[in-house]
Amino acid sequence: MRLKGRHWLTLWLVVFLVVLLAITTRQTAGFRTARHLRELREERAALEARRGELERRIRLASSRQVLVPLAERALGLHQPTDSEFVLFVVPAGAGGKP
Amino acid sequence: MAKPTARIAAVQFGFALGVVVILGRAVQVQIVEGSDWAKEAARKRTERVVLPARRGALYDRNGVPLAVTQEFYHVGIAPNELEDLATGFRLLVRSLGVPAASLDREFRAHKPWIYLHGPFNATQVQTLRSVVGIHLEGDFQRFYPSRDLARPIIGGLSPDRPSGAAGLELSLDSLLTGQPGAAVLLKDRAGRRYESPARMLREPVAGNDVTLTLDAELQEIAERGLAEALTAMNAAGGDVVFLDPLTGELLALASRQAGSDDPQRASTFTDPFEPGSTAKLFTAAALLTHNLVDSTEAVFAEHGQWQMPVARNGRSRTITDSHRSDGNLTLAQAIQVSSNIAMAKFASRLQPEQQYEMLRDFGFGTPTGAEFPSESRGRLARPDRWQPMYTRASLAMGYEFGVTPVQLAAAYGAIANDGVLLAPTLVREVRDPSGALLYRHVPEPVRRVVSSEIAGRLKSFLRGAVGEGGTGEKAQLVNYTLLGKTGTAVRFEDGHYVRGEYTASFAALFPADHPQLVVIVKIDNPKGSYYGGLTAAPVTRSMLEQALASQRVAIDRARLAATDSAASTEPRPEPAPPGQAVVAVRWPYHPSDSVTSPRPIPDVTGRSVREAALALHRRGFQVGLRGLGRVVRTEPAAGESAARGSSVIVWADESR
Repeated sequence: MRLKGRHWLTLWLVVFLVVLLAITTRQTAGFRTARHLRELREERAALEARRGELERRIRLASSRQVLVPLAERALGLHQPTDSEFVLFVVPAGAGGKP
Repeated sequence: MAKPTARIAAVQFGFALGVVVILGRAVQVQIVEGSDWAKEAARKRTERVVLPARRGALYDRNGVPLAVTQEFYHVGIAPNELEDLATGFRLLVRSLGVPAASLDREFRAHKPWIYLHGPFNATQVQTLRSVVGIHLEGDFQRFYPSRDLARPIIGGLSPDRPSGAAGLELSLDSLLTGQPGAAVLLKDRAGRRYESPARMLREPVAGNDVTLTLDAELQEIAERGLAEALTAMNAAGGDVVFLDPLTGELLALASRQAGSDDPQRASTFTDPFEPGSTAKLFTAAALLTHNLVDSTEAVFAEHGQWQMPVARNGRSRTITDSHRSDGNLTLAQAIQVSSNIAMAKFASRLQPEQQYEMLRDFGFGTPTGAEFPSESRGRLARPDRWQPMYTRASLAMGYEFGVTPVQLAAAYGAIANDGVLLAPTLVREVRDPSGALLYRHVPEPVRRVVSSEIAGRLKSFLRGAVGEGGTGEKAQLVNYTLLGKTGTAVRFEDGHYVRGEYTASFAALFPADHPQLVVIVKIDNPKGSYYGGLTAAPVTRSMLEQALASQRVAIDRARLAATDSAASTEPRPEPAPPGQAVVAVRWPYHPSDSVTSPRPIPDVTGRSVREAALALHRRGFQVGLRGLGRVVRTEPAAGESAARGSSVIVWADESR
């Protein structure tokens, strides 16, 4: 069947609309992805900030500056002299942890 | 009235003219001015932004973060855009922790724009992101999780730009700085910006991460030990250096200047000092290298005071020894009792060039090359500027030249390393943002300074200096031996010597056999006792004890225990059959217990090897293990008697 002029016009219009729809959809998806990326980035930044703060607090809490006076005061401990600890010699291949 | 055809023609002409005008304008806009209009449209609809790159992190040798980069924010508030002023106000106060009164003042002033500089971290601003009227301005900022730990060494960034301004942040800037990226954002008519993944022009590339040679735990021990020592001695300042002599890696660097409002300086690198007797060893090295003294030769110690002729006209200078010696002293004894007089006499055998070259070979007078900016080269004059009859003696006593604590550590490291000087370093590894290894430090020999044999003799001198009767006796540990040399020098400041002010120092190699650590402790102007043996030496011992007790400090304990056991003169347990572990323990240590009365062996059958070892140690026995698991029997058997300090072999079986 041979297409008449108005059919061609309709066909072109449909093609135009489809292309337009595809472009709009792609653009919308792009914006959505970008927003999602941004949110993830923000979330990561927030988690990193939290981790940094926690690491700082852990470092401080486990530092000698805090622990040693606390151990001395609360538990009556003291810094050991070298005669108060023992080093074990475990030969290589003995199966023990280094 | 015109004919209809004429009217139609006129209308057609009018339309045609209109079409021509439109087409002409279209040609002008699209073709002639097309590129300009395209640029204008792009300018209005898009915005090119620079994406900052994250600066690389600094870690200690065990992965403890010392300097990291985090995203921080400044907050802008447009009160007229806020939907509910009161809610926005409460949210800001709660999230950012800003004082309510000051923010209230800002709101009441009816400012169109309120700026809170902060900076606020991502957690604080998380709840504000979706609030209309609150605008966040992101920025990368440096964050130091361990705050003051090693800060003079790490340094910091410039306040106005993200580049290093001091310390390692400056010297490693090119490694740490990343490459900024670029992106294009879309804008709507209201000026709102939209990100689009397709508009990324260039991804930002983060900087490289650098793992330092520093050991955070040892650094803390050094900083804390130094601070306590300065307080106890009411001293003006001090430095501590820990160095691994086998690799040249600097493990800890602590500096402190008391009473200074300025930020602490990394004086381990920047401030040379006259080392005093810790430098006697280098003149001894020159004497031995040039065969100018043998082990039996001795010089008269002048009963502790000597008028040394320093000019041909008979002028002399008084040299005194703080440890009076009445007889003759060999070179080893001169170092053991730190005799200035004996060293001055021995040094007179050296040509100035020989002494100078030896000091240069040990690295004095030149920067060590460690990655710290503004490192001092120290002070060492050329022989043509020396006082002909005195400077050799002065250098032998550790005066008339200046060394930094790091230079001194590297020089002692050469002695520990059988005579080979290694370049000290602060960088252990460099990794790119993906974690790929770009650089790993390998020991970098600078030169052989002395032969292995001479290095061994120098170590034996050091052994004497911390042995019984040596000036560094107070540094000695009970179970482990170290080598060391004390130093006490009159302070040299602003070109002259300050009467009554001293620099006390101590240089140590630990342990004595196969040293793993070089320790330099320097105390500036301690009040009360000022001798290195009474000030710096006990501080060294205390820090070594803490380092040994800490599981996290980078000491090879297996090698240390093996060395210690090897050094012991007591019999070692016989070798274990394959697949069984041998654990040799010496506990507790009582040197006077070599002859003691026998005591019964406790029954440890059925107990774990750990419990058994502890029980036997408490009774004063050494323990040799055969196997792991539960104890099956002991040799000698439970109930039999054995001398305290003798070995008890414990047989264990894992299946039980």
